[in-house]
Amino acid sequence: MGKTSRPAGVLLLGVGTILSSMTISGFLLGYVTDYFLDTMPLFLLGFGFLGLLGGTLKVYKLLTHPDFNKS
Amino acid sequence: MAGSENSSGGGTVQYIQHHLTNLCIGDCDPVTHQAAGFWALHLDTVIVSSLLALLIIVVSWSLGRKLQTGAPSGFQNFVEIIIEFVDKSVKDTFPGHNPLIAPLALTIFVWVWLMNFMDLIPVDLLPLLASYVGVQYLKVVPTTDLNTTLAMSLTVFGLIVFYSIKMKGLGGYIKMFLFHPFGKFFIPVNVVMTAIEELAKPLSLALRLFGNMFAGELVFLLIALLGGAATIGAGLLYILPLQVILDLAWLIFHILVISLQAFIFMVLTIVYLGMAHTTDH
Repeated sequence: MGKTSRPAGVLLLGVGTILSSMTISGFLLGYVTDYFLDTMPLFLLGFGFLGLLGGTLKVYKLLTHPDFNKS
Repeated sequence: MAGSENSSGGGTVQYIQHHLTNLCIGDCDPVTHQAAGFWALHLDTVIVSSLLALLIIVVSWSLGRKLQTGAPSGFQNFVEIIIEFVDKSVKDTFPGHNPLIAPLALTIFVWVWLMNFMDLIPVDLLPLLASYVGVQYLKVVPTTDLNTTLAMSLTVFGLIVFYSIKMKGLGGYIKMFLFHPFGKFFIPVNVVMTAIEELAKPLSLALRLFGNMFAGELVFLLIALLGGAATIGAGLLYILPLQVILDLAWLIFHILVISLQAFIFMVLTIVYLGMAHTTDH
């Protein structure tokens, strides 16, 4: 079952929301971390930035490698 | 004049707010009728989605009892087309074999489509009928409630985590968090990035469906407001035909939207579960 190819084109269905959802996820995770550690807004900004960076990377990967086989 | 404009504007806002308010029981705000805490329950969402699930069960059961071989009847033919379509989508996108995936995909597709379909019922009809029996708030489209879409996407997320751990092993799953995407020298960043990536999956599934359906419902409400405006003036002659044309056009377009959203939710579920079934990450 290991490295079976799958149509990466299907993943492009979600490309429109990847960037925004990863940025929101970053901010959410940062908010929760700050809430528990009482460090607002340190992790909120840091994780938000990482979410934006990760989302951009993911969109770039999806759009430049149509047959890309790894998430 | 100003007074009438204010009251008209207030009425418009009130109309939209009323149609976008769920029938809340439990921990709800007594003034706004919105959920005010964790123990608030949107009764209309639960009832409508349960009734639609019941409809699927009853129809499947009754059809299953009188299945025809050879040349099937019209409805059996229609159901077979849907099953073949979902089966082909699973075969095209899912690596390997898991007997749970195709039934799960079919259930998601049909259930989400039916819940979305409630959007095509005239916006005032069911709330009006419900008001006759004393129900003041009724939001009939379960997918315009974020609780529904989030609940479904979190269920899918639970399955993703389960199959990821099952296929990769707990060590492999933890390794995915530690060494992906930047390698062994950036472990703290990798953990955060992978956590964000995993969290984004259910979030994007839920928000996409909710956003599209909520926006569609809002457009129906705005078109319905045209008729309300027409009753207060001579504009009745041209606003009502305009409303009918706009409503029909949006309704036809919305059939495409509801089908597309159900398809996207289903296909992304298959893809995410497929990714969970591969031993790589």
